[in-house]
Amino acid sequence: MNDELKLEQDWLWIPLPAEIDHFQVEQIRQKIKEKMQEAYVKYIVFDFQNTNLMDSSGIGLIAGRYRELAVRGGQVYVSNVSDNMKKVLSFSGLYRIVTPWEQVVVDEATEMELKE
Amino acid sequence: MGNTNEMLVEFEAIGENESLARIVVAAFVSKVNPTLEELGDIKVAVSEAVTNAIIHGYEGNGGTIQMRIALDGHKLTIVITDKGKGIPDVEKAMEPLFTTKPEEERSGMGFSFMEAFTNELMVESKPGEGTRITMVKMMGEQDGSDN
Ligand SMILES: Nc1ncnc2c1ncn2[C@@H]1O[C@H](COP(=O)(O)OP(=O)(O)OP(=O)(O)O)[C@@H](O)[C@H]1O
Ligand SMILES: [Mg+2]
Repeated sequence: MNDELKLEQDWLWIPLPAEIDHFQVEQIRQKIKEKMQEAYVKYIVFDFQNTNLMDSSGIGLIAGRYRELAVRGGQVYVSNVSDNMKKVLSFSGLYRIVTPWEQVVVDEATEMELKE
Repeated sequence: MGNTNEMLVEFEAIGENESLARIVVAAFVSKVNPTLEELGDIKVAVSEAVTNAIIHGYEGNGGTIQMRIALDGHKLTIVITDKGKGIPDVEKAMEPLFTTKPEEERSGMGFSFMEAFTNELMVESKPGEGTRITMVKMMGEQDGSDN
């Protein structure tokens, strides 16, 4: 499994671990901090592909990055969210501030079709 | 099933033990065949209580956390105790989004998760003495062994 953060221009892609708790969040937060010093990040994608548990520490991490990016006109996306994880994300109200990545891809495709 | 079982564990209040506590609970309840959803819920609830003991109770300075797990048929009871600084106003602390550590990016959702993901939640605390969290959840009433 490749768990390295990927930086591309002002996009930061963050693969999340299997279980996101306070202990894991401390490490991820540090890695994000380092990457965000390397470049002026405006967009972050949190990838839940390998994740099957997240507690409120993860909510705090994502909401924190949202606050950081919102002031610079950026955005936070979540990707590959399983049904299991959807429950936690919905309950926390996080969907009010983050966008499912898959939705963006679908929307863009429809937009292209409409233009054609 | 009239079976009962009980176990008591004590561990250091350090971040690594958050996952350990979840694993212990998951293993303990496996014999009543909980559904994946029940298992996910109880793991999150345990994670919240243990994390709170570590970062709020002991404020990251370490200490001992005690976890008692009991199964009476399908009724799971988990009691998580710390001898940390305690909570001055429990009712206030349990309000959604209330946190005393916003600067550490806490969202104040821990108690809300514990409440939503279990059937019963009881919080007892005394400033200077510590905090005891009791959670009850019905597990495996509908056999989850197929998933
Ligand atoms: N074991 C404890 N000892 C002392 N204080 C506690 C304990 N558990 C909770 N608290 C207090 O109750 C508040 C609310 O707890 P809760 O878990 O709901 O939110 P949080 O831990 O601040 O944020 P989050 O859980 O979303 O990361 C905490 O901010 C803290 O002040
Ligand atoms: Mg908490």
